[in-house]
Amino acid sequence: MHLVPLVFYAAAAAAYLTHFAWRDPRVGRLATAILAGGVLAHTFLIGMQTVHVGHAPLVGTTAAVSAFIWLLGLSYLYVEITTDERAIGVFVAPLLVVLALIPALDPSVSPRPPLLQSPLFTVHVVSMLFAYASFALAFVLGVTYVLLFKEIKAKHLGFFYTRLPSLQALDVMNARVVTIGWSFLTLGIAIGGLWAMQVHSFPDPRAQAMDISDPKILAAILCWFVYSFALVARTVIGWSGRRAAWLSTIGFVIVLLTFVPVGYFFTKSHNF
Amino acid sequence: MRLLAVGISHRTASVELRESVDFGRRGLESALRAFATRGVSQESVVLSTCNRAEIYALGESDAAAEITRFLSDYHGIDPAVLEGHVYAHRGADAARHLFRVAAGLDSLVVGEPQILGQVKSAYATASDLGFAGAITHRLFHAAFAVGKRVRSETGLAEGAVSVSYAAIELARKIFGDLAGRSAVILGAGEMAELTGVHLRAQKVKQMTIASRTLASAEALARQLEGRAVPWNGVLSALAGADIVVTATGAAEPVVTRSMIDDVMRTRRIRPLFVIDIAVPRDVEPAVGDLEQVFLYHMDDLKTIVSENLARRTSELASAEAIVDREVQRFATWLQSRKIVPTVVALRQRFEQIRQSELRRLDSKLAGLPPEARARVDEITRLIVEKLLLTPTEQLKATGDDAIAYAETLHRLFDLTASERSGEDETPGGTSEPLARGARRR
Repeated sequence: MHLVPLVFYAAAAAAYLTHFAWRDPRVGRLATAILAGGVLAHTFLIGMQTVHVGHAPLVGTTAAVSAFIWLLGLSYLYVEITTDERAIGVFVAPLLVVLALIPALDPSVSPRPPLLQSPLFTVHVVSMLFAYASFALAFVLGVTYVLLFKEIKAKHLGFFYTRLPSLQALDVMNARVVTIGWSFLTLGIAIGGLWAMQVHSFPDPRAQAMDISDPKILAAILCWFVYSFALVARTVIGWSGRRAAWLSTIGFVIVLLTFVPVGYFFTKSHNF
Repeated sequence: MRLLAVGISHRTASVELRESVDFGRRGLESALRAFATRGVSQESVVLSTCNRAEIYALGESDAAAEITRFLSDYHGIDPAVLEGHVYAHRGADAARHLFRVAAGLDSLVVGEPQILGQVKSAYATASDLGFAGAITHRLFHAAFAVGKRVRSETGLAEGAVSVSYAAIELARKIFGDLAGRSAVILGAGEMAELTGVHLRAQKVKQMTIASRTLASAEALARQLEGRAVPWNGVLSALAGADIVVTATGAAEPVVTRSMIDDVMRTRRIRPLFVIDIAVPRDVEPAVGDLEQVFLYHMDDLKTIVSENLARRTSELASAEAIVDREVQRFATWLQSRKIVPTVVALRQRFEQIRQSELRRLDSKLAGLPPEARARVDEITRLIVEKLLLTPTEQLKATGDDAIAYAETLHRLFDLTASERSGEDETPGGTSEPLARGARRR
């Protein structure tokens, strides 16, 4: 079932790539339509799983990755529609494809253990995933910023120069998505902390492991510090543009580490 | 009736001659009205820009000469002066000419953006005054579509092709919208002025001009609605700037690395775009090594311009291909219109047969009550309608074969020659200069 969105995302990636290379506006619109179709199919899939298992499919890294992809697709479409800027799609769509391979290879939905039967859990996971999706967008915007910056600085106006929006526009979008992501990250961590306190006495070894020394929690806190620094640096010492772009990249590397290696192999508290 | 495009352009006439036939001076409306009194054309559109003066018309085969006479009469020029400079395109070639004009392929600077708007307003004027008709309507809308497609599907109109505009384009790539940005111009010469005018057009919030002689800075500041500062105030002006244009005649650099170092410290991390269009250079090259400074020199801009021109040239073939396809489509449509008189003649022929048969049977039908006679009339009419329905639809859908179909129908049904029209137009169209003349740019 997870193959359907994957195929859509792959087709959208191909269309965004074609659009980026040849700049045919019809291909661009087609790319958006395919991506929207993929997100819609993904929505149905998540909806069906919710009905099937009786709760939102958020348990387990695979399900979380799937929800993350869905939120990233949705956020990207929102950014594209509000800014009328399609060039970023060529970076986002392949990311969706790579991540969508995970749920496509392992489509099972884990049952929800009693530990997680709390509305706080759902809010925590959704806010964290939304924050990570925003950081993924910020990362893509940061990378494109650096690419364009380098081209203009080196006076080799070429591929990216003709295709990307202005440095200013990329920077403003970056600031916006980092702010949104940071807000959700803060909310997610706070709710997570609250919930961890509630379940600390729960007879589950994972509940006992919910503290700062757990790699997954540590990584999330680290993330929070990186993005808090990015926001403070931007407003107080004027770190915008290229430095903000680098911070978005560092932050997202931590996000990816949290997600895949830490989520699958190292964490003792978040291995659902 | 044939479609005609008659006029002069930068390809065939000098600036002086183009100025003397500029319809813009007295307005398109007056030109259209004056042209209508000639009775040469059923439909007309007058296109007038600084690089061309053209009349699109629908007239008989001798209309081209008549339009040339109108050009000289209306502008009060000796016809001999125009001789050799006026071109005439007919039929599909007239369409091709207009499509190429709208796409910017016939422009002095290939791909320049204004021409499509000028074509649009020329058509709008003619249309508002009732001088445009079915053919010009279709022709011009096809031309707008060609112009739009060439711009969006090819790189023909991309990239600045003048040094000062290349600088503006770069500034927009760095800062996005330039409204709300501050610019400092050092120098008050011609290049400073040209770039300043472009910046003004981008609605730059504040423009500060500094020159060794305050008076010339003030003069330029008035023109650009900016403010002039004395030369020793340059450093503080730079601190607030996003864009710096240097175009002084100084022999030594006037903007040094240490100056910009100081400036960058006060402005935290905000990019600064320095455009040095002075020769010799006004800005020390080391300024470009600073992290947030983009330094472009005259030679860099010239390289960009020549690359853009080369890229435009490489897009010519795909632009011409779009024009070709659209000309083909328009020609097909034009051909299919020629079948219309044949369709009319065919219907008349059938109606004629029906009427004469009814008359012939009149005596036999005389005994019938009036309702029955009316019924007979109705039935025969419906039969004719039904018989003609499919052929009519099919004929209207014919493209290139329209002439052949028309010929066949005329022969089969003996349609009278007087009912034929429009056949003087050969497919493909023809073009030739009305007289040989030197091609000038």
